[in-house]
Amino acid sequence: MKKYIIALGLFVPTILFGQIDRSIRPEAAPAPTINIKDSKVFTTENGITVILSENHKIPRVSYNLVMGSDPKLEKSKAGLSSIAGTLVMSGTSNRSKDDLDNEVDNIGATLHADNNSIYMSSLTKHMTKGLTLMSDVLMNANFPQSEVDRIITQNESNLTSTKSDAGSMASNATSSANFPKGHPYGEIMTFESLENIDRSSIVEYYNMAFSPKGSYLVVVGDITLEETKELVQTYFGNWKGKAPHKENWGTGSFNAGNNVSFVNKPGAVQSVISVSFSMAITPSDPDYLKLKVLNNIMGAGGFASRLMQNLREDKAYTYGCYSRLNITDDGSWFSAGGNFRNEVTDSAITQILFELDRIIDDYVTDKELDLAKSSMAGSFGRSLERPSTVARFALNIIKNDLPKDYYQTYLKQLEAITKQDLLDVAQKYWTGSKCNIVVVGNEEVIPTLLQFDSDGEIEELDAFGNEVVEKIPSDLTADEIIENYLAAVIPNVKAKKRKKIFKKIKSMEVVIEMTSAQVPFPITSKNAWMSPNINASLTEGKGMVFSSSYSDGITGQQQAMGIGKSEMTPEEIAVANKSMGIVPEYNYGKSGMEYEVIGIEKFEKKECYVLKLNDGKSITFDYYDRTSFMKLGTMSIETQGEETTQATQTYDNYVEMNGILFPTMVKLSTGQANLEGKVVSRIINGEIDFESYKK
Amino acid sequence: MKYILLAGLCSAMAFNGTSQREIEYLEYDLDNGIHVILHEEHATPIVAVSVLYHVGSKNEQADRTGFAHFFEHLLFEGSANIERGEYSELVEKNGGTLNANTSQDRTFYYEILPSNQLELGIWLESERMLHANVEITGIETQRSVVKEEKRQRVDNQPYASFITEMFSRMFKKHPYNWVPIGSMEHLDAAKEEDYVNFYRTFYVPANATLSIAGDIDIEETKAWINKYFSSIPKGEAINLYRDVENLSDEEFLKEYGVDRSTFDLKNFGMSTDSKAKEIFNKYSATAIEIPRPEKANEPLTGIVKDIVYDNIQLPALFMGYSFPEQSHPDFHALEMMNDVLSGGASSRINKSLVEKQQIAQFAFCFAYGLEDAGVGIFAAIAAQGKDLDSVQMAFDDQITLIKDELISEAEFEKIRNQYENQFISTNSTIAGIAETLADNHVYSGGAEKINTELSEYLAVTREDIQRVAKKYLTQDARIILHYLPMEEKSDKK
Repeated sequence: MKKYIIALGLFVPTILFGQIDRSIRPEAAPAPTINIKDSKVFTTENGITVILSENHKIPRVSYNLVMGSDPKLEKSKAGLSSIAGTLVMSGTSNRSKDDLDNEVDNIGATLHADNNSIYMSSLTKHMTKGLTLMSDVLMNANFPQSEVDRIITQNESNLTSTKSDAGSMASNATSSANFPKGHPYGEIMTFESLENIDRSSIVEYYNMAFSPKGSYLVVVGDITLEETKELVQTYFGNWKGKAPHKENWGTGSFNAGNNVSFVNKPGAVQSVISVSFSMAITPSDPDYLKLKVLNNIMGAGGFASRLMQNLREDKAYTYGCYSRLNITDDGSWFSAGGNFRNEVTDSAITQILFELDRIIDDYVTDKELDLAKSSMAGSFGRSLERPSTVARFALNIIKNDLPKDYYQTYLKQLEAITKQDLLDVAQKYWTGSKCNIVVVGNEEVIPTLLQFDSDGEIEELDAFGNEVVEKIPSDLTADEIIENYLAAVIPNVKAKKRKKIFKKIKSMEVVIEMTSAQVPFPITSKNAWMSPNINASLTEGKGMVFSSSYSDGITGQQQAMGIGKSEMTPEEIAVANKSMGIVPEYNYGKSGMEYEVIGIEKFEKKECYVLKLNDGKSITFDYYDRTSFMKLGTMSIETQGEETTQATQTYDNYVEMNGILFPTMVKLSTGQANLEGKVVSRIINGEIDFESYKK
Repeated sequence: MKYILLAGLCSAMAFNGTSQREIEYLEYDLDNGIHVILHEEHATPIVAVSVLYHVGSKNEQADRTGFAHFFEHLLFEGSANIERGEYSELVEKNGGTLNANTSQDRTFYYEILPSNQLELGIWLESERMLHANVEITGIETQRSVVKEEKRQRVDNQPYASFITEMFSRMFKKHPYNWVPIGSMEHLDAAKEEDYVNFYRTFYVPANATLSIAGDIDIEETKAWINKYFSSIPKGEAINLYRDVENLSDEEFLKEYGVDRSTFDLKNFGMSTDSKAKEIFNKYSATAIEIPRPEKANEPLTGIVKDIVYDNIQLPALFMGYSFPEQSHPDFHALEMMNDVLSGGASSRINKSLVEKQQIAQFAFCFAYGLEDAGVGIFAAIAAQGKDLDSVQMAFDDQITLIKDELISEAEFEKIRNQYENQFISTNSTIAGIAETLADNHVYSGGAEKINTELSEYLAVTREDIQRVAKKYLTQDARIILHYLPMEEKSDKK
């Protein structure tokens, strides 16, 4: 190349340079002063807080309009806000999408929207045109059906692609582990939820979320305060909308021990690992900055951080291992991880957990603390190069209710943080062995992961963070399964004899004593039945009756704590009759219970035939062991309005009595509590005090 | 440390261009051949210190691919005066950040520091150039790290192998045949001395451009550059210096015929020993020959069609055309043609393939410009249930259209406005300016291009765009790759 002027020995160098001792490291010059320019803030009549950061270096302006609503549950329409956000740019009552795209590109501007904001940037000379387009989109988006259809179809393809994208799968699984159903962060779009999203729900979302009330408009660049005021009035003065949606989402969920979830990615050569847990903190908390320093030392501080040094520079398990704090008003979590070759998946998890324990158990070193502070101070200084930083500072102060001089004093606050502060926040917010460990990778790594799970059970999740339910078609009919089950619980006799044994039982009373970590006293549950159709149940503990019921097949009464006593309706009695008797399966034919086999699934790690029952009030799934045909459990789903509750019972330790095998261990788990039950008495053909059930 | 195998994906949108704001800078050569570029700007109290080495994967031997990128990793392992692991720590604990990247044509290192740490940045880069630790411990660690990088960025990423697949079919003779990440087998097979030789050949002053931008004082900066960089020996003398430092007394004597002790590293070249001085002068005067391949001159002559099976769900189509090198007069017109087809939501390909016909989930094209050749790439991921033949037909319709008809005045105005916007918006950071200045100096005929490039784009006419479309979008000479899900491979057997 022309610039490679290579001297061809034409001259002999004279004195090229003086003496130099390269081992002496340069000293820093005096530290430069960091100036943070003030932003200007004003509020419009329709409720927009405008933040202006003036900077005339480059003839450009940007407008970022952020809405003030909190997230809302999307339930069966998970993904609605994301679809609606994409569609905001799909045309207005004044412009088709093609026209809109063309007009934006014609002035070389950027205009985009998501579920919660609209952003426009352009050269100053094209600014008014840009604002015309931005305000048109903001106020007149009209969501044509054809675009709705197109975006939904496109998202279907996206969902398909997710299955080959390990990073997205890990992030979905991490969200659903830390934020189980019932929190917006745990809602993940699936093929099913996408199907439920229609134009009217999109329009409804847009009307709810896009409103001037409580919104923030961040203006950055080549513009004065006077101009900004005038333009905001011209382009956003007529914008109207509802009060913003406010909802307190609290925190994510906390584990009792480590929980491992696995997502299968066939052919993977690396495992994507994410170790995460929820934290009870919001951005306005003074501990936030301390946590940031701690996290910088842990895994966000570049090459020098512990995770990087240990897993990359020392062990070479990975190209990069990082940790991250996600701190929001609606839920906060920590996550650490990276990509690791298959063979070292378990070793990598061990080291990440080791580093977590280490930072919770002991002080960081002075050197680490100094390094973290300096690197954060440096990064703070560098961030000021972007004009948008100053505006972001102003926005944070307003949104998070921070002291006015928070950023002016940022470096001082940082300097004041001590090792003790870091140990305190580590112990307060971080957890060593109560993590959600997500691994996306090749099936071959599964056996190595068992050691990390506190209950020894690895949940397998699909690409969207939902538990994998493997459906194998059943090779038996529902009646054949019931027949086999009856043969199993009344063993060693022929079918005819079974009926006889069964008919000899005229009454039965079972008392189960249950304990739970969530309830400080034992709970007693009693069930009684007498031929032909008296049914009774009672749950009590510590002298209190939680619920009771009694019916004789024609009339009945029930009582529940907090609801009170009532007569049973004929429908309720009909429902009770359908599952009556010591082995209700004998009567399905006659009782009117609807039942069908839906396939073979894993339940309690065993392959089971699944019968779906519908008694008219709730749906129940019964699980029969595929080899022994014993009934291992029942899962019931009850729906009341929009709420569904799910309860799972498992049966174990079957013991023979009067020729029939009965379970002596029962476990009950619902969303709120887990109960362990032991059968303390089972009386067959004895006296039953039915009055005691009428409390 | 990033390397830019896939940077082409973004390069269609991001330009290492210039701006309307005149960027002032100063440039000069040191006696040892280092080219220095300085840009002074005081808006924020930070500085960017960068060194561009004119070495990339195209300088590798065919049986030692991946070396250039590997060095990018290795050269963070410290130097004679910097312990292993200390290099990044020195930057970070002084409030800075650092990184590097490697392409087919270059290896680029930089630090961004508070401006009071400028001298540190200059010292660090001079240490890297003069006597980095190229030794077995670092080599072994980084070898594993690079393997993980390849797994993460290529093997485990859907479609990510397409550049490799495309380039290996496009270039049969030129070393663009392989991509910067290279072959892990080659890295394994290489011996310590292979690595040392690579360093001695390419990491030398005459192959480097030092570009510094930000809150600097020019005179003070020049003085530090003189202290740390002018003191780096010229020509083969740099390797003499390295040998004084690394060889044993015996080895040195055998090699040079004088005692090692006659040299004083703190005052190299000023030895009082006349024999040593003679050797020094001789080596200083001997230029290091830097092997560079000939410009690629192997345009495609026919259609190459192939199937690649990958761990993907949706099939994808990748088409490649022979384009000229990035400094070729036609290249700007090709980039603008590319923007008509693929720049922004209103571009032809997005409107037709993605929005109207809905046969592609994602479709774009870009002009991949390199020092010795270029490649035009068209890429699309098929929408669910759509086949690749219909995707190709849709691309071909667009290609026919842009060859047969002049683009409209409105479209032309649109892309010119887009360029203007892009050029004004880039160079908004000092690190970006330092990099653009260095790049322009080495690959685009001079640093001044930072101020003239926009006018070069604006000089392109509609007729130019049609002409280059006809010339380079050759339908009878191109590569057509079908990416199909792995399952389909086993289905067929």
